[in-house]
Formats: sequence, structure tokens, C-alpha cells
Amino acid sequence: MDIRLSGITKVFEPDIVALEDIYLSVDSGEFLYLVGTTGSGKTTLLRLISREYLPTRGQITVGDRNLRKLRSSELPYYRREVGVVFQDFKLLPNLTVFENVAFVLEAMGIPPKLVESRSNEVIDQVGLWRRRFLKPPQLSGGEQQRVAIARAMANSPAVFLADEPTGNLDLRTSEEIMRLLLSINASGTTVIVATHDQYLVDAYRQRLVELHNGRLKRDERRGRYFVDGEL
Amino acid sequence: MASFRYAFRDTFRLLFRHWGLSLLTLLTAASVLYILGFASLFAMNMRYMISRIEGALVVQAYMKRGETAEQALELVRSSPLVLSVRAISPEEALERLRAKLGNQAQAVTLLGENPLPWSLEIQVQRAEHITPLVRDLMVLPSIEEVLYAGKLVERLATISRASSAVSGIILMLTLLISTLVIFNTIRIAIYSRKEEIEVMLLIGATSTYISLPFVIQGMLLGAGGAILAIFGLWSTYSSAIEAIRSTLAFVDIIDNRRILAQFYVFLFAAGATTGWMCSWLAVHRFTSQSMRSR
Ligand SMILES: Nc1ncnc2c1ncn2[C@@H]1O[C@H](COP(=O)(O)OP(=O)(O)O)[C@@H](O)[C@H]1O
Ligand SMILES: [Mg+2]
Repeated sequence: MDIRLSGITKVFEPDIVALEDIYLSVDSGEFLYLVGTTGSGKTTLLRLISREYLPTRGQITVGDRNLRKLRSSELPYYRREVGVVFQDFKLLPNLTVFENVAFVLEAMGIPPKLVESRSNEVIDQVGLWRRRFLKPPQLSGGEQQRVAIARAMANSPAVFLADEPTGNLDLRTSEEIMRLLLSINASGTTVIVATHDQYLVDAYRQRLVELHNGRLKRDERRGRYFVDGEL
Repeated sequence: MASFRYAFRDTFRLLFRHWGLSLLTLLTAASVLYILGFASLFAMNMRYMISRIEGALVVQAYMKRGETAEQALELVRSSPLVLSVRAISPEEALERLRAKLGNQAQAVTLLGENPLPWSLEIQVQRAEHITPLVRDLMVLPSIEEVLYAGKLVERLATISRASSAVSGIILMLTLLISTLVIFNTIRIAIYSRKEEIEVMLLIGATSTYISLPFVIQGMLLGAGGAILAIFGLWSTYSSAIEAIRSTLAFVDIIDNRRILAQFYVFLFAAGATTGWMCSWLAVHRFTSQSMRSR
């Protein structure tokens, strides 16, 4: 699904301007890095796309949905099409890896047999097959990150948002995770990755959008540069 | 359908994760419903007794031997308090006596000449009409004796009004207590799964799906409490019936299986409904708060 942000401003009470007048267009099946220093507004942008937040001004459309007009009864169905890897993972510590993935599918009313086979499939895909009965506190940071990715991809979302998925990870683990995200993108999913990992951005060249103090600073597609506002 | 399976599984997880709390809630609901049931049964019985006696709000006036009932009949017919009146001849009275005696009917023949007088069977509308009517009848020279159950009925009516009021208050109190207890238990259960619920909302679970285990939990606690209360009431009530039968045989107590069964079903429904509504309220409040976009 494609994503269009037009004139997006997000102000937090009382007067923190997290994003200001953002225009951004992401086509279906695109891969995009969202970069910027801490506090530049990356997480806020992702949360606007997943409809955790509503923009103060401007419109966001994802596919044929205008997020501002989304009714609360439609929200769950929208969120099923958007897989999110949260910056803090949001894994449930009392559930095993398998259960952490399975409960998302269960919540969608998928029958138990299918839940089991699909959970196993994605757990295998992220390389955690032998860890599937461990709980998050027993896993390393990189492993937890991969559980979060497995959970977000379990129901094959059309849009995949990852918030600093390689933060605090060593180089080899980061590369593994990058390859995972690229493989998700290869199946036609639109992927947005918020990161401040310069190495990855250079090593796996993809479209790059930079935020600075809540404003769009550059939008670079395969080497071409767009100065802000010139989209 | 799969959703219901998951919901039931999660319900039992919830119940057992906080088994102490579940047990406490169950017992509270049970005792509260027991008190409610007891008060209602008492009020029902009072009303039943009165209706039985009021159904027979009959004043019987016996003539002196040899007198006919005509004079008394005239007086009674002119009274607005009277619902109906019937003159009973000595022959009819004898027939009735025979019927009542059943097996021992032959004994009547031993009486020889019919010794029974004329009498009037007067049905009044309300218990309080009895006293003035009796006063009027007593002055007639043809009247030998007037029999009626007036005082008893009046007293019963007072007790009945009081017991209805008390059971009304108890109804309010018990509903309030069970609501608060179940609501609170569900809230604790919700907070124990707070993180999980928030993640579920974020990944696209509907609030119905999220609510289901909690609503089922509340219903089970309410219904379970009701079942315990019904068992308690049933055994108390049957032994009460036994005790009353053997000591106060003249007291009419409800012993109709259908009425009692209906009452127990009602109590069960009240428990389940209270549980359902409380838990729905608690969980709905929580999800709509978490869902609100900032
Ligand atoms: N829920 C919130 N309430 C108030 N301020 C917020 C909230 N979320 C983010 N902010 C502020 O918005 C700015 C952008 O934050 P964020 O989007 O988290 O940046 P990044 O993810 O790029 O580090 C920061 O100044 C942050 O303090
Ligand atoms: Mg962030």
C-alpha cells in the first residue's frame, strides 16, 4: 500500500512541535529509511502512520484510507495491515517466543492449526526455531528484536514499520536484521525503517528521508537529492 | 469460532492466575445472593400467606337454631363492603360435613336429626372491611355466632408490607455490593494484563475480542456465586419447610416446585447478568481509554 502525508504537523501539549508541515509520499512496495538525530520526530511519524496518534494538522492516507476519517471500529482492521516493530519491542515477558507470535494471529480469529503453522513459519524465518519455547528475558537483544519482527510480519501486513530495529545491536546482528527487512520488502511490502545507523544506510542503499527538528531535511532516492519542500 | 476458544482458554487462565481473588469474589457473590434470595423468599411467603387468607376472606355467621337466615341476608346484601354472600341451609351444611369427613362420613348418620343451623358465608373485599361488618351482624337477634380471621389478616398485612420494604432495600444493597466486588475483581484482572491488552490493541485486536475473556470471567463468577447461593437456599429452605410442617402445621409455606424453580432461575440470571454487566463496564472503560488517539 502507498502512504501519503500532506502538510502533517504534530504538536504535543502544551507546545512541543514534534513534526512540522511534512509532505511525504511512499509508493507501494518501496523501502525507505527514516533518519535523523534523537528527538527529530521519527517515532512520532511512524505512530502517525499506524494511527496511534492523530495529526494536529494535515492529512494521511494509506492505501485508500484517510486516517483522520477512520472510525474506531475500523481501526483494528487497519492496524492488521500495518505491521509495527516497536522501538521498545513490546514483547510480553511471560509468554514464550511462540506465544508472543501466536497471540497476534489468535486475536485475528485465525483457527488454531493455522496459527501454529504460521507462527512456526515466521519464527523459522527469523532464525529463532531453536529458541521458540524461551521467554523474552532469556533472549539476547538481537533475538528479542527478531521476535518483534516475526510478530509484526506474522499476518503478512501490506505496510511494515520498524522503529530503530538495529539500535544497540552489534554489526553482524544488525546486518542479519537488515537482510530480514529487505526480504520482507522483496515480497512487495512497503517498508519504512527509522534508524540512525549510518553504516547500514550506506551499506544497503535505499531511499532515505531525513528529519531535523521535526522538519523534512532531505529526501534522497538512489543518489538523487531533493532539498526540503521541493518534492 | 476460534475466537471463542481463545477467549475461554484466556478466561480460565485469568481465573486461575488470581485464584485467591476469584474464590473470594465467588464467595462474596454467593453470600450476597444468598441473603438476597433469603429475603425474597421470606417476602414471597408472606405475600403468599396473605393471599391465601385473603382468598378466603370469609365471615361466617351462624343463626340460632330454628331461625332462618333471611333477616341477616337482607342486612348483608345492603352493605357495600360485601363481595358476595351465600346462605347455607342446614342440609347443605350436612353435605359439606360429610364430604369433609370422607372415610368417617358414616359418623354423621349417628347424629340423627340434623343439628346444624342456617349460616351465611360472606366474602368481603378487604381485611379491614371485616370488623364493621361483624359489628353490624352481632346486633341482629337471629345471629348466634360470627367467625372470622380478621385480626390475623391485618397483622400479616403489616408484616408483609414491612418485609417487602426490607427485601427491596436488601435487593439494592446486594446488587450494589456484588456489582462493586465483581467490578473490582475484573479491574484487577484487567490491570494484570494491561501490557498485553495494550499490545493487542496496537496490533489490531478488536475490543470485543479483548473484552471477551473478562466478560466471560465476570459472568462465570456471577453465575457461579448464584449457583452456590441457590444450593444454600435450597437446603435451608427444604429444612425450613420440614421444621414448619412439624411444628406450625397451619402455616402455609410455598412448596410449589415450579414457583421455587422459577425463583432459582431468576436468581441465577440475576447473578450472571450482574457479572456480565460489571465486567463489560470495567473492560469497556479500559479499552476505550487505551484506544483514544492522542
Ligand atoms: N507522547 C509525547 N508527548 C509529548 N512529547 C512527545 C511525545 N512523543 C514525542 N514527543 C516529543 O516529540 C519530539 C520527537 O520525538 P520522537 O518522535 O520520539 O523522536 P525520535 O523518535 O526521532 O527520537 C521529542 O521532542 C519528544 O520529546
Ligand atoms: Mg524514536
